[in-house]
Amino acid sequence: MKKFTTLFAALAILVGFASCTKKEKETGKTINIAVSADIKGMDPIYANDRYSSNEVGRVYEGLLEYHYLKRPYTLVPNLAESMPTVSEDGLTYTFKIKQGVLFHDDAAFPNGKGRELVAEDFVYSIKRLADPKLQGLGWWLLDGKIKGLNEWREKHSDLPKVDYDEVVEGLKATGKYTLEFKLTKPFPQFLYSLAMPFTFATAREVVEKYGQEFLNHPVGTGPFILPTFKQTKKVVYTKNPNFRKKLYPSEASEEFKAAGFLADAGKELPLVDRVVVNVIIESQPRWLNFLKGKVDFISIPKDNFDSAVTPDRNLSPEYKEKGISLLINPSLDVTYTAFNHDLKLFQNADLRRAMSLAYDVKKSNELFYNNTSLPAQSVVPPGIAGNIPNYTSPYRGPNIEEAKKLLAKAGYPEGKGLPEITYDCPSGTVSRQIGDYMKQQLAQIGVRIKVVTNPWPELQKKITKRQVMLYGIAWGADYPDAENFLQLLYGPNKAPGANGSGYNNPEFNKLFKTASVMQDSPERTALYEKMNRIAAEQAPWIYGVHRQNFTLRHSFLKNYMSTDFETGQAQYLNIDTAMKAKAVEKL
Amino acid sequence: MNLWQYILRRLFYIIPTILGVALIIFIIFNVVAPDPALIMLGKHATVAQIAELRNELGLNKPMWAQYLDIVKSAFTFEFGRSWTTKQEIIQMIKNGAIPSLTLTLPAFILSTVIAISISLVVSFFRGKWIDKCAVFFCVLLMSVTSLAYILFGQWFFAYKLGWFEISGYESGFPDFIPYVVLPVIIWIILSIGPDVRFYRTVMLDEIYQDYVRTAKAKGLSERVILFKHVLKNAMIPIITFVVIQIPFLILGALLLESFFSIPGLGGITLNGVYNSDFPVIKAMTILTAMAYIIFSVITDVLYTVVDPRVRLK
Repeated sequence: MKKFTTLFAALAILVGFASCTKKEKETGKTINIAVSADIKGMDPIYANDRYSSNEVGRVYEGLLEYHYLKRPYTLVPNLAESMPTVSEDGLTYTFKIKQGVLFHDDAAFPNGKGRELVAEDFVYSIKRLADPKLQGLGWWLLDGKIKGLNEWREKHSDLPKVDYDEVVEGLKATGKYTLEFKLTKPFPQFLYSLAMPFTFATAREVVEKYGQEFLNHPVGTGPFILPTFKQTKKVVYTKNPNFRKKLYPSEASEEFKAAGFLADAGKELPLVDRVVVNVIIESQPRWLNFLKGKVDFISIPKDNFDSAVTPDRNLSPEYKEKGISLLINPSLDVTYTAFNHDLKLFQNADLRRAMSLAYDVKKSNELFYNNTSLPAQSVVPPGIAGNIPNYTSPYRGPNIEEAKKLLAKAGYPEGKGLPEITYDCPSGTVSRQIGDYMKQQLAQIGVRIKVVTNPWPELQKKITKRQVMLYGIAWGADYPDAENFLQLLYGPNKAPGANGSGYNNPEFNKLFKTASVMQDSPERTALYEKMNRIAAEQAPWIYGVHRQNFTLRHSFLKNYMSTDFETGQAQYLNIDTAMKAKAVEKL
Repeated sequence: MNLWQYILRRLFYIIPTILGVALIIFIIFNVVAPDPALIMLGKHATVAQIAELRNELGLNKPMWAQYLDIVKSAFTFEFGRSWTTKQEIIQMIKNGAIPSLTLTLPAFILSTVIAISISLVVSFFRGKWIDKCAVFFCVLLMSVTSLAYILFGQWFFAYKLGWFEISGYESGFPDFIPYVVLPVIIWIILSIGPDVRFYRTVMLDEIYQDYVRTAKAKGLSERVILFKHVLKNAMIPIITFVVIQIPFLILGALLLESFFSIPGLGGITLNGVYNSDFPVIKAMTILTAMAYIIFSVITDVLYTVVDPRVRLK
């Protein structure tokens, strides 16, 4: 028995040892962020998901960025000296880039000292995005838009080596600090591309030194440094000591002024010394770490929503006492159930309208989104031009009587003559529940639904191969322009393009084509609104909701707001260390 | 046949096994898996881009050439890069294997030692209340889902009592220890039920053998019988049970790693399957098959060590 005693004693010692949990030795200001998915790598051209693009945005920068404190979202110069001059025909964009901006120090540069950023770096970085051998995931942004770039890409796809020195007509450095883009046709959304990580500046010598390992050696001009990226659960960035003199904005929209966001106005960025990103995939440890003050802000996990937020959308007193505050922010997205318009069945507008009218979106909001979302009336979410304030779709349910009438008008009284309709959705629990809800809702008018769950890649494959009838999905904005949503219903974008439903309405297509080359103007907004109305009245989808983000933050975290475009946000955040020390004691 | 000949012959079996494994994963990938190009390009895929990407990924090569590529990579260990993360797969495995092992190895050793010890005790007291209680608690422990232990353990011991880190990981000894203690304890609790029941059955099988009666007749004490004779004879099934689990320790513990943010290999295969990341699926399947063969050879060799009557043929 002595042996057993020894064993148990050893275990007890181990437990004792462990109970001395790690004490953080923190000097300076640190932002602690928790993300819920693994970070793939740090190469801007592959940053096609929110998590990777946020990480890329801490190290790399682009020509433009969104003003941190202005809504609606407004583009402002970042590495560009000023906004570009645009030729009258809307085809030539000329940028002056900032002088004296330095890349981070790295062994790839002479003496290991980061060199100055020049216009040629953007030419190189954008060619990398177009490089057919690299298959950058943001190529869709520029595909067919810059003169000569598609030809350059096509030519090199068959050659063994890509020649970056070959001149592309529409992408030139016309001076050390002057950059010129020539477009194939007017494309007003072009500027948004330059605020996306795909087009951020990389240095050619760094890419060439590290080759395929470049994605683990991020060297940009950004506010934070990460000498080596290792795919792990914790990434630690430190302040870039050579960061150019970039100041916290002194102007803000009224909502931010009132909320005290200008307290740091005019201070040099970044405001903190370190950014620690913790990958915490499961919601419980993310939530518990937040409550312990080890994470500075958190999007409220679904299971903790009721404990944190009262029915009248306020923060529970228990959390208020801990110095936590609640932020509610609509996100630029839309959830929807799409009809496959290739099927003759769904070319019948009355059938689509009847099904749309049978669906109670308010109840679904209660069931699946804790009543936090906004029922969608059409495709464009609130917050961007093209959304029609206070507009109600004539086919927004529930209206069972009217739905039944329309179903009869469509030729299927009480659902007679209708085949069983399959509803495909991703295989998550909530998606399946939404499917079951859809089935129950449509059963009220006699439409029979069969719910089929699929792993996400399988659902994508089915949509592309047109093997679906109805499917549930969502779209988040790439940039704050209604075009990014309306293109989902533009006929020529049919799957595998973004128009997975295959909706094809000549009138809508014509309006889209006209609007897509127009600069932002009241005329363009009027066209967007017209398309938005068509999209409501024709019911090409059964609209779901525009979701809202419910985020909690600790009071010691300053300047934080929930935003749709988080790239670069960490440089504006601040920590009140004295307040943090006190708050953590209470937690 | 001497030992070395046996080992060489068994290791030679790796070749046909790998050819077979490669063929199976190749067929499964080509028949049922979704198009990786489509997954990688996501919501902005176009027909032209899908075709281009498939070409770059080598999916347009003749089938036999693609199969040969898999076989080649199995023997050169050059698995290339993940299609999803673009990271070098061997590096991903190296990076993940150590954190996984820092969790699974101590957990496995401790749970095995504890389970064998408990089973020896309960065999000693077979049929008595200690034995009955142990069996009862084993069944009780097994009746609760692993997720419940994880959720409760993390909430109560780490968050409420603050005894452990809630989640996270630091590389290097001894920095990692505070982060793995709670998951190790949960692992032990999870495995103690089935392990004790298995070892107890093995021990009881031995206890009723003739040689035990002989030993008793000779007047040996229960302790000597149990530790010197029963344990030694029970080693064959124990070795089979234990050694064959070792390759899977490297693969990590999916749920524990995920909940405790340990950067191990737990999710690597699952993510590979989910993303149709064929190079990752290929590497993990081939390495697992190889490890399985190697450890089964080790098991056979250990048989001869613990029981000289065993002859390898």
